[in-house]
Amino acid sequence: MSLPADIRRLDSGKHLVILLLLGAQLFPFYMLLQTSVKDNHQFLASPWTPPLPGKWHTENFSYALKLVLPYVANTLFVALVGTLGSLAAALAGAYFFARHRGVLHRVCWAAFVLLLMMPTVMNIVPLFAQLRDMGLLNSLWALILVGMAGTQAFNLYVLRAFVEEIPRDLFDAAQIDGASHLAQILHVVLPMSLPILGTLGIVTFLGLWNDFLLPLLITRDAEKFTVGVGLVYLEGEYVKEWGRIMAAFLVASVPMVVLFLFTMKWFVRGIASGAIKG
Amino acid sequence: MNGALTFCRSRGRCAIWLFVLPSLALIVGFAYGPAASAIYHSFFDWQGGESKRFIGLENFRRVWNDGVFWSSFVTIGILVVANIIKLIPSVALAVLIHRLRSDRWQYWYRVLVVIPMVVPGLVVLFVWKFFLDPNIGPVNQLLDVSGIKSLLVHVDSWCGWGVFREDLPIGWLSQPALVIPALILWGLPWISSIGVLIYLAGLSSIGQEVYEAAEIDGAGGWTRFWRIELPLILTQIRLTLVLLIIGTLQGFGLQLLLLNDTGGPGGRGMVPGLWMYNRAYAAGEFGYACALGLVLFVVILALTWVNNRLVRVDR
Repeated sequence: MSLPADIRRLDSGKHLVILLLLGAQLFPFYMLLQTSVKDNHQFLASPWTPPLPGKWHTENFSYALKLVLPYVANTLFVALVGTLGSLAAALAGAYFFARHRGVLHRVCWAAFVLLLMMPTVMNIVPLFAQLRDMGLLNSLWALILVGMAGTQAFNLYVLRAFVEEIPRDLFDAAQIDGASHLAQILHVVLPMSLPILGTLGIVTFLGLWNDFLLPLLITRDAEKFTVGVGLVYLEGEYVKEWGRIMAAFLVASVPMVVLFLFTMKWFVRGIASGAIKG
Repeated sequence: MNGALTFCRSRGRCAIWLFVLPSLALIVGFAYGPAASAIYHSFFDWQGGESKRFIGLENFRRVWNDGVFWSSFVTIGILVVANIIKLIPSVALAVLIHRLRSDRWQYWYRVLVVIPMVVPGLVVLFVWKFFLDPNIGPVNQLLDVSGIKSLLVHVDSWCGWGVFREDLPIGWLSQPALVIPALILWGLPWISSIGVLIYLAGLSSIGQEVYEAAEIDGAGGWTRFWRIELPLILTQIRLTLVLLIIGTLQGFGLQLLLLNDTGGPGGRGMVPGLWMYNRAYAAGEFGYACALGLVLFVVILALTWVNNRLVRVDR
């Protein structure tokens, strides 16, 4: 297809602006990548360009792996268990709200919707004292429970709308076959809501993975550190070996990159559809 | 007759309540519980431990006279307003990508837009902290090499700010006057991956015939933007803006990590949430921190309500 010359010229202007914007946005990642194989001396000598292939300090990465991998394991545990738990509870709750009617039902629903709009900033202070009283300080379970609770309202809100769109006939048929509520969730609701569960799962997982404030407050021992806490302490060290720090940042990012490679489609679709519905 | 039994007329009706129980327990235990506890403890002199002393409204009287707290609202106000400006590059990028004629290019740019999302926000923030390092940070090196720094020094000697000096590296996070500019500047050009994706989704609903009609009318690029594209994504822009504003008002992680829990040099980066955090964990005044949190909660709630009134998010 041949476009008129003036249109093609206009498009090249657009490309230029787009590339400038994206280039500036992605520049930190370039610096992250190329600094991660340098030592401080190399960085000061030539900050902008990667070192020659023979002069790469790959030992930065063995240092980073040793430091960050235990944190990654902790965070993976928290994010995975937290996400599965949150979705399981929210799906059961959504089933309840979609299938049951009554006065109490409406009160409970209001409690969830209210939570969607409620600022949570003041919770962090008493939450700390509460977790201490529950003996959950320095425990990954505290992060899981709080994470599950924090994502509950949103997940339940979205899932309820989804479960309600499932045709009633399906439930009726299952009931005639003598299926219990649990069986109906497992055999009717679950298979039909897999796509939305995938999208919500990614959002929940991302939130749990990126959280650092609560972990920073409640984890004391290095064995319990999540990635966020580990990076905060690493960045706070007095003598900074930038190459090692950047390598640690990169290692900390890898799990997310892998997750995105496999789930990007779900994620992008989730954002697009969720946003349009408001 | 047992009350529960009359309430649940059949076994099935009663059993179904079991399904909402985990969700309810979670939000009561870890959301409403702490919130109630915050309200309760705001009337106490409480160090976070077992002992506490009821002091009535004393904490709130202190909040009323707390200069740090109220001036931190000015700081957060500036950051909130800056958010509006920070939206512009994302909108521009989305519109430009949308207007490209080649679908293949659109796809590849979309992929590039998504890439920053795979890197944890904490990492991006720390890379920027490194960028702003006075001695070896790339920002200062770039300003030096490009001659912008000497320009800034000239302007400074004219206006007498005393901030930029020839013989000293620019202390983005150590100069009191530069703290707020640095808090705004970081992340330049502030492309929000999620924002761009949302706007692109909104723009994709514009039919080709609308553009053709605009072309026949001889509408230029600007006219098309103001008359066709902006109105169509206004809902999405409002939505992201509301979320951004509420997030900014509540948030203090950025300030905590870039500066510290005292708000950096001169406390210039102090925001309300950070002051609450500081009172609780640096001063051990948990009761007072609860009162601060409660006031902040009310302010945000009121703003959210006003927001919902003023900007109806349709659909």
